[in-house]
Amino acid sequence: MKRYSDLEYLKLPKWRRFLYTLLCLIVGIPSGIWNGIKKIGNAFVKFGKRIAFEFKDIYLTFKNGDWKTRTSFFIMGFGSLARGQIMRGLLFLLMEIVFIGYMALAGVKWVSQLPQLGVQGPVKEYDPIFDQYTTAYHDNSFKILLYGVLTIFFAIAVIYTWRINVKQNQIAEKILASGKKLKSGKDDLRSLVDDQFHKTLLSLPLFGIVVFTVMPIIFMILVAFTNYDSINDGYINNLFDWVGWDNWNTMLSWGEGNVRYGATMGEILTWTLIWAFFATFSNYFLGMGVAMVINKKGIKFKKFWRTCLVLTIAIPQFISLLYVSKMFAPNGLINGFLLDMKWIEQPLPFWTNATWARITVIIINIWIGIPHLMLMATGILMNIPADLYESAKVDGAGVWKQYTKITLPYMLFVTGPYLLTSFIGNMNNFNVIYLLTGGGPSNLDAAGVLGAPGETDLLITWLFKMVTTSEPAAYNLASVIGIIVFVVVAAISLIVYNVMPSTRNEEDFQ
Amino acid sequence: MSKKNQMPTLPPQAKRHLGIKAVNTISNVFIYILLVFITIIWLVPFVCIVLQSFNVEDTCMVGYVIPKDWGLDNYKALFAEGSPFLKWYLNTFIIALCTAVGQTVIQLCMSYTLSRFRFKMRKPLMKFMLILGMFPGMLGMIILYNVLADMGLTQANAVPGLILVNIASAGMGYYVSKGFFDTIPKSLDEAARIDGATRMQILYRVILPLAKPIVIYTVLSAFMGPWGDFVFARYISMNNINGMNVAVGLNSWLTADAIAYKYTQFCAGGVLVALPVTLLFLFLQKYYVEGVTGGAVKG
Amino acid sequence: MASVKLTNVKKVYDNSVVAVQEFNLDIADKEFIVFVGPSGCGKSTTLRMIAGLEDISGGTVEIDGVVVNDLQPKDRDIAMVFQNYALYPHMTVYDNIAFSLRIKKVPEDEVYQRVLKAAEILGITEYLLRKPRALSGGQRQRVAIGRAMVRDSKVFLMDEPLSNLDAKLRNQMRAEIILLRQKIDTTFIYVTHDQTEAMTLGDRIVIMKDGFIQQVGTPTEVFDMPANLFVAEFIGAPKMNTFKTDLCCEGGKYFVKPYGATIEVTGKKAAMLADKGVRSGEIILGVRPEHFKLTDENDPSAIACKITVNEMMGSELHLHALTENGEKLIVRIPTVSLDDDVRHSMVYGKTIYVTFEGKVMHFFDKETEKNLLV
Repeated sequence: MKRYSDLEYLKLPKWRRFLYTLLCLIVGIPSGIWNGIKKIGNAFVKFGKRIAFEFKDIYLTFKNGDWKTRTSFFIMGFGSLARGQIMRGLLFLLMEIVFIGYMALAGVKWVSQLPQLGVQGPVKEYDPIFDQYTTAYHDNSFKILLYGVLTIFFAIAVIYTWRINVKQNQIAEKILASGKKLKSGKDDLRSLVDDQFHKTLLSLPLFGIVVFTVMPIIFMILVAFTNYDSINDGYINNLFDWVGWDNWNTMLSWGEGNVRYGATMGEILTWTLIWAFFATFSNYFLGMGVAMVINKKGIKFKKFWRTCLVLTIAIPQFISLLYVSKMFAPNGLINGFLLDMKWIEQPLPFWTNATWARITVIIINIWIGIPHLMLMATGILMNIPADLYESAKVDGAGVWKQYTKITLPYMLFVTGPYLLTSFIGNMNNFNVIYLLTGGGPSNLDAAGVLGAPGETDLLITWLFKMVTTSEPAAYNLASVIGIIVFVVVAAISLIVYNVMPSTRNEEDFQ
Repeated sequence: MSKKNQMPTLPPQAKRHLGIKAVNTISNVFIYILLVFITIIWLVPFVCIVLQSFNVEDTCMVGYVIPKDWGLDNYKALFAEGSPFLKWYLNTFIIALCTAVGQTVIQLCMSYTLSRFRFKMRKPLMKFMLILGMFPGMLGMIILYNVLADMGLTQANAVPGLILVNIASAGMGYYVSKGFFDTIPKSLDEAARIDGATRMQILYRVILPLAKPIVIYTVLSAFMGPWGDFVFARYISMNNINGMNVAVGLNSWLTADAIAYKYTQFCAGGVLVALPVTLLFLFLQKYYVEGVTGGAVKG
Repeated sequence: MASVKLTNVKKVYDNSVVAVQEFNLDIADKEFIVFVGPSGCGKSTTLRMIAGLEDISGGTVEIDGVVVNDLQPKDRDIAMVFQNYALYPHMTVYDNIAFSLRIKKVPEDEVYQRVLKAAEILGITEYLLRKPRALSGGQRQRVAIGRAMVRDSKVFLMDEPLSNLDAKLRNQMRAEIILLRQKIDTTFIYVTHDQTEAMTLGDRIVIMKDGFIQQVGTPTEVFDMPANLFVAEFIGAPKMNTFKTDLCCEGGKYFVKPYGATIEVTGKKAAMLADKGVRSGEIILGVRPEHFKLTDENDPSAIACKITVNEMMGSELHLHALTENGEKLIVRIPTVSLDDDVRHSMVYGKTIYVTFEGKVMHFFDKETEKNLLV
């Protein structure tokens, strides 16, 4: 494709400029994706190099270190203790003792069972004394997987600590060699509220994230490769086991009759994307419109109008959504009113017809979303320098031109990342769909699929149904859906970030 | 909109008729009509809820809005002996209160650090959390349920379980407050460092007093969240009436078999839930607006 | 009160941009030193390294003989005034000034004494209970200085403290800083991009460009004997005129021949040229605008040029003119020396003849742009 220079580009007629820009954008997508992949690849290479460097460094530390350092390779914290850094040394030592103790008592057991996820399932035994069958429970696959993963986490943390311990020795040797004094325990404590304050501040939040976000995600990624569901629950009924890519085959192959997983997947994904698109942009433009109308010079009671809309944010969504959902029911207020007025003879199929239901959720979502957007847009609109408009007016721009040439570009520039997050948020907008339609109306083609997704179900609500209402609850398939959602979201973000001109730099705003 | 239609080709008389003022007035009238219309659409459902909560003719859905008989029966029923509503309400209130405190502390720690410190792992950490955020949060529900069940924090004891989950994952939502911290000039930190303050002193003597709007915003949104929390609350309470919050509880009144005799009570319950949150919100609206706009601009 | 010594100081940012390098400087006790240069030259970075706000990538910074590279700002005993004042918006003026003392846990009585003393010196006693928001730019600047003053620190750093003020206030504050210096009597390091501030405030000036020191010297030294073309053009306003021209050495005398005129180099400069043994050849000639004078076309040393802009400054005229081969020239002529009708005739398009004396020239190598006489 021919690239124009800046001056050549300026000579083009308007429509060709537009075409050219569009073409550039489309041509940019593959390279955007490629760049993204390259970045990831580079990150891996960098990581590998880093690891190699660490190994070399560890080797050198051992080779060049004194006996205190070398002993520390086996007894963590020994070097620190020997050099008088009591507090650090004790912490290192404690870590090692806890680790060895834990591994001996439980850790080794859990990890060694990971490959099989337990061998002995529950057994029914006849109890001749009471003349009845009792069940003896043995291995617990769920716990093996969970504690196995946790133990590996812990082991990685210990290896990392060990590495720090080695590094500490190296640093301490250097400092002593240059004739300076080592930091005392008091200094360490002091630096935790000063130059190392970030470590203090981050420790608690990061611990929470690791335990309550990272660990579950890793666990569920693993579950996608097992047959864990409410029948094979790992303890009470049956053990579960690794099944390789079976779940993925189920989810991604087309299927037959009304158990068409792949087809359903495709339909729901398409609807999810359509929904996210309309939900995001309808809210965006209408919200901006409302904000602009209220912002217009000469409109009175601005605060009153805004407050009326904003109030609806405060009311918990489940109340408003559930209520509105009932309003649109066949016997709800809306149909009741229309029937009373004799404008219709049959109740309108808001929730019973697939197309009606889809359009209705999008419209009600506008009702939900506009106050948020209005609030945000109001703030940004007020930030647009007034002299831009004044100069545009002097240049002869009308209302429409002012909007397309100043307001819109400014808004898009400032809210670009917000649009992306909001698109992704809408893809996972559980509340609106679940509370309004519950996923319905039901889809006969997908009736045999676990979770029985309806016509308005998103991937996320399907996932929810799979683990709650379906029989059996298919945790393994739900995990697959979750991972697919992640892949789609990541792909969209990657493309958008790489195609979008990266004019925004975090530091620019400071 | 045809305001300020200053077409140069208009003859002078026409121009006089459609002067800037006249056009403005006309367009303003249209805008007022539009605004009234919008306001009605936005407020009608809430007015309806309030009205129906006073409806004492029937407990099920009716096709009209204004009750023929008014009364407080629905409210009385909520607090009658054996009604779980008070329990749900208390549950939610406790969750909201604890979440508000815990989440705010955690989020402020996180966002202040990421905004102010430049350490080696900062960028990778932020990228990692971005990627983490792309996984649907619901994915971890099953395991969290099991882990919490192991600790005895599900079903009837769902309240501490929910608080724990809410607080523990709060660090992920640091974006808005980081955006705010980024707007506080760094030279203030530097001045304070030169003046001899440690990083901790800077935080509580310089930054926190300046961050009042974002602290209030964080508290407010953390407090409001649990009132509408549905997914997790439902999963963790597992149909145990004592462990439900208002969202799950009231939703259970709208199932096919309950709606016929619980619908108006649902409305009354909804009003009682919405009331304190709305009042609080009205009171602190200014800060919320600042937070929303600041967060969006910063991305 | 301390000396500051910078040895081979270097700053490389994470993105491998080199901001400062080979920075060597000895600052004597109680000296007022000014870092000056265009934006991005590394002057602020250097100051921030001295303050401890930026890591030092290489070399050492010593304050009073102690290497402070690894010390936190608070342990370096320095005070600093920021460009945007950096006043704590939620504290009153009094609390702002008292902040550092309270951090140090100085007894409240003493805090009161010291804050009051600083406020009196700066004339801000009546604003002590106001918040910074309610102060004007000049008042905020004073508070910022006061905050630095109460600390009685070894070194007083100022990072473009006047650049946010309007021109009139800037002149006034500049004078006040000179007075203040006599009262505080400590080591000052002052960063600015404004050569006037540098010239008027500094005992010595450090002129920087692209991370390198170009010249260190007293104001007179850098004005009279700029080390290179950059310094020559940077110091002095309007900036020095430069032209490529031939330097001829004939019979022990030096001549320059700009635009057909022939001017003999006289005075000390001629002697220095001879000492250095400079030969004939093309050089860059620099002449400051104020060293031009008007002459007539019969003068062999006359350069003819056409006026394009006439800036009437009151006490003097700044004439922007174009020579015959289209090069720009700025000439500065005191109005006192002109008759009214001559002054009024200096309009666009008028041809004037200017010349300059032989002792005011600067000579620079045309490749290295270094001063031939240094």
